[in-house]
Amino acid sequence: MSRYSATCHIIDQVRLAQDIFHLVVDAPDIARVARPGQFCMLATAHGGGLDPLLRRPLSIHDAWPSGRLEFLYRVVGKGTDLLSQKGPGETVCVLGPLGRGFRPEPCGKSILVGGGLGAAPLLFLARSLDRMDVTVILGGRSIHEIARLDAFEGAAGEVLVTTEDGSRGIKGLVTTALERLDISSSSHTDAIPCVFACGPWPMMKAVYAWATAKGIAIQVSLETQMACGTGVCLGCAIRPSTQGRYLHTCKDGPVFFGTEIDWG
Amino acid sequence: MPYFEQKSTRPLPRTGVDLAGIKFKNPVILASGTCGYGQEIDDLLDLELLGGIVVKGISLGERRGNPPPRIHETPCGLLNAIGLENVGLERFLSEKMPWLRKIDTAVIVNILGNSAEEYVQIARSLDRVPGIDGIEVNISCPNVKAGGIAFGADPALAAEITRRIKTVTSLPVIVKLSPNVTDITVIARAVEGAGADAISLINTLLGMAIDVKNKRPVLANIFGGLSGPAIKPIALRMVWQVARAVEIPVIGIGGISTSQDAIEFFMAGASAIQVGTATLVNPGSAAEIVAGIASFMDKEGISDISQMRIP
Ligand SMILES: Cc1cc2nc3c(=O)[nH]c(=O)nc-3n(C[C@H](O)[C@H](O)[C@H](O)COP(=O)(O)OP(=O)(O)OC[C@H]3O[C@@H](n4cnc5c(N)ncnc54)[C@H](O)[C@@H]3O)c2cc1C
Ligand SMILES: Cc1cc2nc3c(=O)[nH]c(=O)nc-3n(C[C@H](O)[C@H](O)[C@H](O)COP(=O)(O)O)c2cc1C
Ligand code: FES
Repeated sequence: MSRYSATCHIIDQVRLAQDIFHLVVDAPDIARVARPGQFCMLATAHGGGLDPLLRRPLSIHDAWPSGRLEFLYRVVGKGTDLLSQKGPGETVCVLGPLGRGFRPEPCGKSILVGGGLGAAPLLFLARSLDRMDVTVILGGRSIHEIARLDAFEGAAGEVLVTTEDGSRGIKGLVTTALERLDISSSSHTDAIPCVFACGPWPMMKAVYAWATAKGIAIQVSLETQMACGTGVCLGCAIRPSTQGRYLHTCKDGPVFFGTEIDWG
Repeated sequence: MPYFEQKSTRPLPRTGVDLAGIKFKNPVILASGTCGYGQEIDDLLDLELLGGIVVKGISLGERRGNPPPRIHETPCGLLNAIGLENVGLERFLSEKMPWLRKIDTAVIVNILGNSAEEYVQIARSLDRVPGIDGIEVNISCPNVKAGGIAFGADPALAAEITRRIKTVTSLPVIVKLSPNVTDITVIARAVEGAGADAISLINTLLGMAIDVKNKRPVLANIFGGLSGPAIKPIALRMVWQVARAVEIPVIGIGGISTSQDAIEFFMAGASAIQVGTATLVNPGSAAEIVAGIASFMDKEGISDISQMRIP
């Protein structure tokens, strides 16, 4: 395992919408070994303070050989709020890359489905795949929740947007777009597609049901509470599909095959 | 005598400690349940820089642990209800010990059971296993036979466990006390009288959190153990009390995140300390604490950990 604990310089931090931020840091060790779907733990307390005590898990939005490491996140509480107050010239402690990311599979078209900030890990994944075989579906309540559309359009052959209020793209949910998708039309293979999804639990459940009904393999990136992110506390347990041992999101995941977990 | 030694005005600080017959390179040990079986964080923390490691609590059989959610953050603290998920004695010995054995640091095995017999059986199986330097007995678990009361809350039960474990092992026995009692010195004296070689304290404080939006407890287990900086003043007070109530060495645990925190525990009477939640926050914490203690001793002209104790 190659994981690093680094104090990183912030290259840039941009507010993309009301509460959505795009953070870029310089983290050469982490960026060079990171795989799509992995995440990092970021310290958010200012000046090495103790509150919030725990680091916050954020998916790797993108990573570059130059050492550039990107995150895309929504401010939901104290930790993300403190993080959003930082700017270029300041530093942030980052631990990563952590966990098991998306597993490349021989398949036809890759359908990447992101709900809200679930889009975060999908850009790095899209860039690692053959552009013309990638379809990205981004869903949100309104246009304000669709972040980094330009970047996705540059990385995928096809990008579909769904909004619940119809302010952009297809009016409805990501599943509305999935239902309309012609899944047989892969550019140069007849192989069946595969799905990679990240977003709120109900969305992933619906996408899992859709994929399973079509006999399509699906990988999902999950969130649970985390204390360490490194596999030592066992706090991030998640129910498996079998009766056996619990899975742990930070080391067995955060990306799982849909068949591995208990969808309740 | 070489020239540089003559020039030195004070002796080099001696951070090593001999405690309960175990030789620790320095007084900083990783606490049970916060470092797995070591290998999980080997790439982020050089275990050989530390005095020792206490592995995740081992039960006779494998344990699945509690359902999620298992953890919740509180101001400067962490509530956990992991439910002692662990690989069990057999897999620990066959899968985890071979790696631990190769590491040049003291290895202490934390054990737990639902009955006195279970503790005894585990302790017997660990005796004479190469690479194990000591046993730490977690007496915070409920005793199924005594109606679920924690072993650590009853001086007679705590003493009985200690006595029986001592008869089946030649390894040093450290008894880890629960803070969830009215007078911790009573339990401390009871296990000392029963032959404990050392005492470690504290384990987590029982607590809970409620999710106001969903109108239910946050943790699936309802209650959880509180750890982290929030509990340090309580831990420090209990270490002070116990260090003055018993003759055997005391290992201080509870909210230690910096060398400053560690030094407070040495001043309260601890011979060594354990780092728990701090490792979850920053895997390198324990190594930073080792370095901080050495530089404090050097600066203050202290040559031995025990000199820090406030009489
Ligand atoms: C593996 C992993 C990857 C993640 N990647 C991203 C990412 O790329 N971008 C991103 O924006 N977030 C991501 N998250 C979620 C992110 O970690 C949390 O939003 C963050 O920890 C909240 O911290 P806080 O201190 O701001 O909020 P807290 O003060 O901890 O919580 C404030 C409120 O937000 C709620 N909350 C906490 N966690 C979440 C959550 N996961 N989702 C929704 N509400 C939550 C709490 O219940 C509480 O009501 C990821 C989580 C995991 C486990
Ligand atoms: C996630 C977690 C798991 C723990 N598991 C154990 C355990 O298996 N056995 C044990 O004796 N103590 C266990 N503890 C208690 C710690 O070893 C330590 O006594 C306590 O957390 C207080 O120290 P701290 O504030 O430095 O964390 C656990 C603590 C945490 C946070
Ligand atoms: S968050 Fe600690 S083991 Fe996964």
